[in-house]
Amino acid sequence: MFSDFAALIVLLPVIAFVLTLFLGKKLPHGGAYLPIAAIAGSFIISLGIFLQIYPEGIVQQSIPWFAGMNLGILIDPLAVVMLMMVSFVSMLIHIYAVGYMSHDPARPRYFAETSLFTAAMLSVVLSDNILQFFISWELVGLCSFLLIGFWYHKPSAAAAAKKAFLVTRVGDVLFLAGIVLLYVNMSDIITSRAFSLAPGNFILQFKSMFDAIPLIDKTQLTYITLLFFGGAVGKSGQFPLHGWLPDAMEGPTTVSALIHAATMVTAGVYLVARTFPMFVAAPDSLLVVAYVGGFTALFAATMGLVMNDIKRVLAYSTVSQLGYMMLALGTAGAVVGAKAVGISMFHLISHAFFKALLFLCAGSVIHAVGTNDIREMGGLFGKMKITATTMMIAALALAGIGIPFINIGTAGFFSKDAIIEGAFEYGEKTGDLIPYGFAVIAALLTSIYIFRLWFMAFTGTPRSERHSHESPGVMTGPLMILAVFALFFGFSQTGFYHYLETNFELMGVSIAAHEGEAVPPPIIVVLLPVIVGVLGFLISYAIYHKRMLDMSKLISSQNPLYKLLLNRYYEPKIGADLIGVKLTHNVVAQSGEFVDRKIIDGLVIDNIISNTLFQLGEVVRKLQTGVVQNYASVTLLGIGLLLVLLRIKFGGT
Amino acid sequence: MSLYTYLLISAIIFVIGAYGIITQRSGIKILMCIELMLNSANLNLVAFSSFNGNATGQVFAIFSIAIAAAEAAIGFAILVALFRVRDTINLDNINILRW
Repeated sequence: MFSDFAALIVLLPVIAFVLTLFLGKKLPHGGAYLPIAAIAGSFIISLGIFLQIYPEGIVQQSIPWFAGMNLGILIDPLAVVMLMMVSFVSMLIHIYAVGYMSHDPARPRYFAETSLFTAAMLSVVLSDNILQFFISWELVGLCSFLLIGFWYHKPSAAAAAKKAFLVTRVGDVLFLAGIVLLYVNMSDIITSRAFSLAPGNFILQFKSMFDAIPLIDKTQLTYITLLFFGGAVGKSGQFPLHGWLPDAMEGPTTVSALIHAATMVTAGVYLVARTFPMFVAAPDSLLVVAYVGGFTALFAATMGLVMNDIKRVLAYSTVSQLGYMMLALGTAGAVVGAKAVGISMFHLISHAFFKALLFLCAGSVIHAVGTNDIREMGGLFGKMKITATTMMIAALALAGIGIPFINIGTAGFFSKDAIIEGAFEYGEKTGDLIPYGFAVIAALLTSIYIFRLWFMAFTGTPRSERHSHESPGVMTGPLMILAVFALFFGFSQTGFYHYLETNFELMGVSIAAHEGEAVPPPIIVVLLPVIVGVLGFLISYAIYHKRMLDMSKLISSQNPLYKLLLNRYYEPKIGADLIGVKLTHNVVAQSGEFVDRKIIDGLVIDNIISNTLFQLGEVVRKLQTGVVQNYASVTLLGIGLLLVLLRIKFGGT
Repeated sequence: MSLYTYLLISAIIFVIGAYGIITQRSGIKILMCIELMLNSANLNLVAFSSFNGNATGQVFAIFSIAIAAAEAAIGFAILVALFRVRDTINLDNINILRW
């Protein structure tokens, strides 16, 4: 049935990539229909597989590759929900891009690259072994680099692409080191016969990894998972490798929506979720995950408060929400076991819907107004009703607004509140309420900055003379579809958790929840996320719509806190000047130069080796006469000599 | 005719080709000599194939002929291009790729 075509999920967009790249110029709309059709195909296959394997099926296919490795497909509940989300959101964004990119002459390249990206991302999701996962992961990073630098003639875009590439590379190297360490440990326990691979299994397959967990040394396991998490930190823009993500907004808005909001940046979360049994077996790593996630959620939200670029606000919001997902895995994993994956993935997917929607709305605004700066917008509500309404829906979802007890609310209400409650439960059991504090304050800030954005863009009087208009239907259509999901996706919560809870048991790995009955959290804990959400709304309403408070004192370059936030905690400065120039150039590169010039060349007196070689070269070069006959004669002589020698050595009769 | 007759003829053709390559100055003549050498090798292949009752050698010969054709086409194209630029195909004058 559908599972027979699982490989096509990846292959269809690859084919579309090749065709669009070479034929795109000759096709209407830059060949946009090819990737759209291909990704729609991927989506249909994913949906078919989901319907086929629900409620507890699993698709496994694998072929041997080299040296005990394999290429394979593993579609379990975790993968199938991601597959559907990625292909669906990607399809909508491609459709939207037909309108958004309609004026760009380089459209074929755009659609080819996004198609390749989608293929790589889908391949990340359905990999059944960590090596294939890593390769796809790198491919995704490459596409991200290409698309951030899509307008490469803009120096800032080229610089942002480089930054993204380099910063995520730090994480990728850690991830690779983790894979190597894992491989070493796995081979050790296999050669010492403590563990043997099940027939048909390969060494770096997730299943083999999970089977081997009890046999791997606990310290080693902590190192491995921490290194994996390093990769996730790079890809998902967690502190301290978060700086590239806001800069990545130099790319087209559709790219930001697809790669830097809905899919690629969630790959880090997906990695932790995918290898979650290993993390559970290494509680120290889980603690790191929880703290990094929680801190990032708060840290990024503070910067989101002051950014004036509409996309940067959303970028920091993405970083912050990714922090929430990590937080969910870290805190809830210590408390509720495998259910944490469900909680985190649920937020991942609902976030994908409403954040993609936010970005696409922002794109629609930018498309109409022609600027990214929210200070120059204002009063757009009358002109762009659909965009404004859908963006409001997304903002409500991001802020997690809903009605507790009767359980009606936006997607974010269900997904984010579950994370905050999980953090509380963790705090209650371990006495460590810091992650919970991070989460609640971040929720308040989230609500403030997103409604600040909305009020500044859509209400008040226009602050600049620009001709703005509602976007065409090809753009508003995807907005409305995503808005429906942002509103109603939350209602699948119970079913979703239930479906993902069995994920690892299907592979024969059980993650026990901690002992003790689940106590329903106090009412105030249930209410608090919504209260802070509404509070944030009211604060923004008062400041940015009614202008009741005069913020000019606070928002000025005199205020050191404001300056600190606006300069993004001086992270770009630290990255470029301290690490780039001072450390890498002045210390590492220059000491390398010193060693090379003074010690290696200096020890050998007066460069004696190189000089001798130079003089020898002068003599030998005369051999090259440039006369063909000489070469031919020498060749013939050589062959003759060779034949004579062979005759002497092996000569028969 | 015995196998040796074929081998002898092949060797003679080969030596003629080799001699031509070393002594001639014209690019076209050198290319023709290369063809001679290639075809002497083909003759060997076919002769052995025929005497051993094994078709592999003939297959090789056909491959070799096809490749020789491609090589000749490229070689002559280069010479034509060279002639347009330098007005000569005397290889003694085409020697800038040296010290």
